Amino acid sequence: MERKIPLPMLVLAILGFCYLLFPILVVVLAGLTTGEFLTFPPKGLSLRWVISFLNSEKYLSAFFFSFKLALMTMVVSTILGTAAALFLARSRFVGRAALRAFFLSPVVLPGVVVGFALYAFFIASGMGISRTIWGLWIGHILYSTPYVIGTVGASLATFDVSLEEAARSLGASPMRAFRKITFPNIAQGIQAGSIFAFIVSFGQFEVSLFLSAPNSEPLPIAMYNSLRYKFEPDAAAAGIFAITLVIASVLLTNRLVNIRRLLERQDG
Amino acid sequence: MSYVEFSTISKHFGNSVAVADLDLQIEQGEFFSLLGPSGCGKSTTLRMLAGFVKPTTGTIHVNGRDVTALPPEARDIGIVFQNYAIFPHMTVFDNIAFGLVERKLPRGEIKQKVDAALAEVGMTGFEGRYERELSGGQKQRVALARVLVIEPEILLLDEPLSALDKKMREEMKFWIKNIQRSVGITTIYVTHDQSEALTMSDRIAVMDQGRVLQIGTPVEIYEQPASRFIAEFIGESNLLNGIVSAVDGAVCSIRIGNATVTGRLTQNNSVSQDQDVALLVRPEMIRLHALDADEQPKLTGTVSETIYQGSVVRYRIQIADQDLMVEIANRPDLPRLDMTDEVAVFWDAESGVVMP
Repeated sequence: MERKIPLPMLVLAILGFCYLLFPILVVVLAGLTTGEFLTFPPKGLSLRWVISFLNSEKYLSAFFFSFKLALMTMVVSTILGTAAALFLARSRFVGRAALRAFFLSPVVLPGVVVGFALYAFFIASGMGISRTIWGLWIGHILYSTPYVIGTVGASLATFDVSLEEAARSLGASPMRAFRKITFPNIAQGIQAGSIFAFIVSFGQFEVSLFLSAPNSEPLPIAMYNSLRYKFEPDAAAAGIFAITLVIASVLLTNRLVNIRRLLERQDG
Repeated sequence: MSYVEFSTISKHFGNSVAVADLDLQIEQGEFFSLLGPSGCGKSTTLRMLAGFVKPTTGTIHVNGRDVTALPPEARDIGIVFQNYAIFPHMTVFDNIAFGLVERKLPRGEIKQKVDAALAEVGMTGFEGRYERELSGGQKQRVALARVLVIEPEILLLDEPLSALDKKMREEMKFWIKNIQRSVGITTIYVTHDQSEALTMSDRIAVMDQGRVLQIGTPVEIYEQPASRFIAEFIGESNLLNGIVSAVDGAVCSIRIGNATVTGRLTQNNSVSQDQDVALLVRPEMIRLHALDADEQPKLTGTVSETIYQGSVVRYRIQIADQDLMVEIANRPDLPRLDMTDEVAVFWDAESGVVMP
């Protein structure tokens, strides 16, 4: 379907995109500067700070810590989010809408509030997980799971329950019917949700600020701490790697899942 | 005990009653239809038999076995859904093989059975196709093959024709009936379309508001409806208002205006002298004659509308303040009438059914 977009709208859309994408360009160019300080426009282009990043114990360990944390978060969020989405889609009870809103609330609440609340809770409850990777993991799961609920919920909205009933009637147990019929038909939503969860966790800042331990910081916190004391371009170089990772995972998602189709389903 | 028995089955959803005190006996090999308007409880009844809905009260027996508490996969029932529910991520072959794979049959036997099922429904050569590559009628055939291949005790059909266009519907009606007859499988068919039910069924249960109103053969349901609701729901009907002037067993005399006509009582209905009743006469049961001075007809009327439909001609006849629809075969030996013609209206005594 070819639809002609009015020129003023097109111009507005392009301006909007430029406005959103310009900061990314700033980071990338600032990371490629030859100068001593983080400036824009950069003073000449070089890989000096990129190499500095790759030699920096602090940034590399933060990068891989974030990567590990995001993978761990992705696994748990995908399982929890899929289960929650299934429950919300299949059960009929009063307060279902309220429960759904509750599940999605971590995304709506300010990250600072969620981070602080968890920090205070971990301390007050004496669980001994404040400022450990486990506490941080819980915070990230809380933050990433709603994205999985959203995408899986969207694919379940168009999944015809009579497919599952047909499978049951043909002799499949509930587990087999889910594995052979429901799962393949919502797999795209699950894949998209898990990659969203990964990206969200990788870029998470506010919750991490409260919950990360000083010796094992995720990349965004490491960049923030570094920029607080010195204005060196290796933070921007670290940004380049973070952006590259996110773009790579988005491209991967696009290969695996047709995001547009998924979003269209949600509308319909 | 009958092959399928519903005993005092009811289903409540919160405060609403979907099915109330249902008793049904269905015999082996029978083609049994549940017919009624939407929301009458027919689909819920079917889903209770399939095991998707748990009855609030009562028991269901199939082939002597109490299945009330069994999950769907333990029931040995094949169901064809309104939208066919073809698994979209599987080929036609894998769809039909699904039930056999679940039954852990050896591969060679599965292949053999699926091929036979494909041949039976006329879909040989389509085994590699996906759902999106099939037409409505083809999906229908695949859905039927998928359940027949597991040789279930009962076949359930939930409005299987409603997603098809009219021409296809007519074709599939006879096709399904023929398959059912050749396989000899006990079949329960849910529909809101009276013509489907009349054409295909051995017996029909007419339902409304969660209750069965009448059970009978298509002839009984059409010619001896138990109530005005059934008379109006099944086929086209004229309901003439009149007053009972005499009752003699099952035969009643009914006064309509100045004329007195006869009708008969059906089922367990009874009427008394001077009671207001309706007389059901089907449009095709009525004969019309041009008014002749010598004749003393019981009922006369005026042609107020003529509708030419090719094979039949329909007339609207005004009798005092009531309307009567009449359908006359288009044959050279039958008179053609024009607007405002005065006519004599006749029907055989058995063709008039008295409705209290």
